[in-house]
Amino acid sequence: MKSQSEEKKYMPEISQKEVEELRKTITATSQKVIAENIKRMKKTDPNRPEAMQYFDEIADFVTREKEILAAKEEGKKVIGYMCLFAPTELILAADAIPVRVNSGWYDASKLGDRVVPVEVCPVVRSTIGAKMIALSPYLELSDALISVLTCDGMTKLGEILSDYKPVWAMTLPRVKDSTQSLRLWSDEIKAVKGQIEALTGNKIKGKQLKSAIERTQKATKAFRRLQELRKGSPVIMGRDAMLVNQTYMWDNIERWTEKTEALCDELEKRAQQKIWACPPDTPRVMVTGTPMIWPDNWKVPTLVEEANPQGILVADELCSGERLLYDPVGVDEWSMSDMLKAISERYLMASTCPCFTSADGNEDRINWMLNKIKEWNIQGVIYYVVRGCMLYAMEYTRVKKVLDRINIPVYYLDTEYTREDVGQMKTRVEAFLEMLSARIDI
Amino acid sequence: MITAGIDLGTQSVKAVILKDGEVISRGKAFSGFDPAKAAEQAVGEALKRAMLSLSDVNHITATGSGMDMAPNSNSTISMMGADAKAGVYLFPHARTIIDVGAEEARAVKCDDNGIMVDFIVNERCAAGAGAFIEAMARALEVKLEDMGPLSLKAERASPINATCVIFGESDVVTLIHRQESKPEIARAIFDAMADRVSSMVHRLGVNPDVVLVGGVAKDVGFVASLKRKLGVDVLIPEYPEYAGALGAALVAVKRVKKV
Repeated sequence: MKSQSEEKKYMPEISQKEVEELRKTITATSQKVIAENIKRMKKTDPNRPEAMQYFDEIADFVTREKEILAAKEEGKKVIGYMCLFAPTELILAADAIPVRVNSGWYDASKLGDRVVPVEVCPVVRSTIGAKMIALSPYLELSDALISVLTCDGMTKLGEILSDYKPVWAMTLPRVKDSTQSLRLWSDEIKAVKGQIEALTGNKIKGKQLKSAIERTQKATKAFRRLQELRKGSPVIMGRDAMLVNQTYMWDNIERWTEKTEALCDELEKRAQQKIWACPPDTPRVMVTGTPMIWPDNWKVPTLVEEANPQGILVADELCSGERLLYDPVGVDEWSMSDMLKAISERYLMASTCPCFTSADGNEDRINWMLNKIKEWNIQGVIYYVVRGCMLYAMEYTRVKKVLDRINIPVYYLDTEYTREDVGQMKTRVEAFLEMLSARIDI
Repeated sequence: MITAGIDLGTQSVKAVILKDGEVISRGKAFSGFDPAKAAEQAVGEALKRAMLSLSDVNHITATGSGMDMAPNSNSTISMMGADAKAGVYLFPHARTIIDVGAEEARAVKCDDNGIMVDFIVNERCAAGAGAFIEAMARALEVKLEDMGPLSLKAERASPINATCVIFGESDVVTLIHRQESKPEIARAIFDAMADRVSSMVHRLGVNPDVVLVGGVAKDVGFVASLKRKLGVDVLIPEYPEYAGALGAALVAVKRVKKV
């Protein structure tokens, strides 16, 4: 008989030999995919900004893994999270390293099928699969995980991963604009602060928290600057900007900020010299829906930007993209209670995740999109949903009605964590872009 | 001016030749394992009928799932774009064009200028497409072309579920065990398929005139069911399976003029 502590609630027994073999194969595929993605991004824009080189390097998983490993040897703790509601400022203030651990590996989702049915969202299945074979360095290096109870998939994912790691579940209220919701969420923030302190052994003091908030505000500033640069004629391809955005999820925050500012400097110069990443009349597209995660789940941006006729992604409404860092924490007084209040409000109120509803529905998401469409001059929207992603799938009907009224074409693109449907998706994406080009012709 | 359109479909390749924008001949071949060869055959057949050779053609536009494999083509157009073009050419008041082929069903919405403004494709499943009728004809031991006329003899409808070909087939087996008559089962199959297609079209909006093209438009059983489910009249051209190729050939006309 196994002891209670060894007994896994969900995870099946899997031999070390199989783990090793699968990890080896999938890691090799992953490295190939990373190299291929970057090669294709370079091909799409042969005159790609020089500052992109840093982001290409940090996108390889290995570089950052080594750094985090070294930091851990010096006693630093790593705290992983799945959803964007995890208050990274508190993690940074305790001198720990925040990393997002959602998996973008297609092959890992097939392993997840051994634990949960195939109807479950592939982001969840893939993260389970990644854990089974220790595929994700960031998940492996995490000393604890923050699991925010957002959609059904994420709620149970945390529970499943607790077979391996301490998991701190945070209850997220579904109605965000009510005083009782904010009260509950503030209590959750305080509780997770205690857990972070206990794990790291570092008491979070005002000075450290202020510094963490300020460092994150600086990152937000660089992040927003990059998105602002995508408003005009194309100075950067969507995939390149998306890669920059994604690397924030695992990179060192100060260095990421510095490198992003450097990229923006380069882009500003290019804009002045009218050096464009693609012809300025290329149809401008926004993507919204299920998060798209590096490296495998890069097929939609690739299809759009390599299509004939070509499109360019100038904005997104994705929690793996522009929603990552768009909104800063706004602090009036730098007291501990005010800072915690500001953090609670930022993480709750700024989110446009479809797990929320209220009397007027998830109005904030609609408004975000309408603002983007207007300000970023977007001509069409791709609404991307993976099978099993119920909340995004359900909100489509409403989004479509709103966009129909303002005469913005939107296409519902459903897919899976697989490479095999790229041909079918290409047909649809190209028809959509053809439609947008025809409109531009008139 | 001679232009050609080739539609490299999943089951067959169709070709249409236009002279100054008017259809002068058609050709068809089974896609099989070599769609490029099938395309050559279809175009060759159409050219032979028109007493022309390849060098007489000013521009060839390809469409269909295999369009990138078309030999000798000068350009491509999406299947949805080709459907829209052909639908509005055949019926100037067409605003909704439904195309049901062997493996895929789709619908295109056009504005008053006949320009495609929206489209929808069946959800990665063959239950709303021609392959479903083929599978069900096998289950009923009926020839494919007899399915439609047979279904029209049904006196009532017995609902089945067509969420997928496999489940659909097991539902059909249940009807067989219940000793339902073949006409009733055939009608149930077309109703289920038309249900899938019509709910897809409803998501897009049913704006008359509604035009049905694609190989399945030749099946009287499906057409009857679709009209019932949509509640509007459905216009069908004389050669519905050539609509994609026609659309492509019309696009070719525009592209010759541009050059």
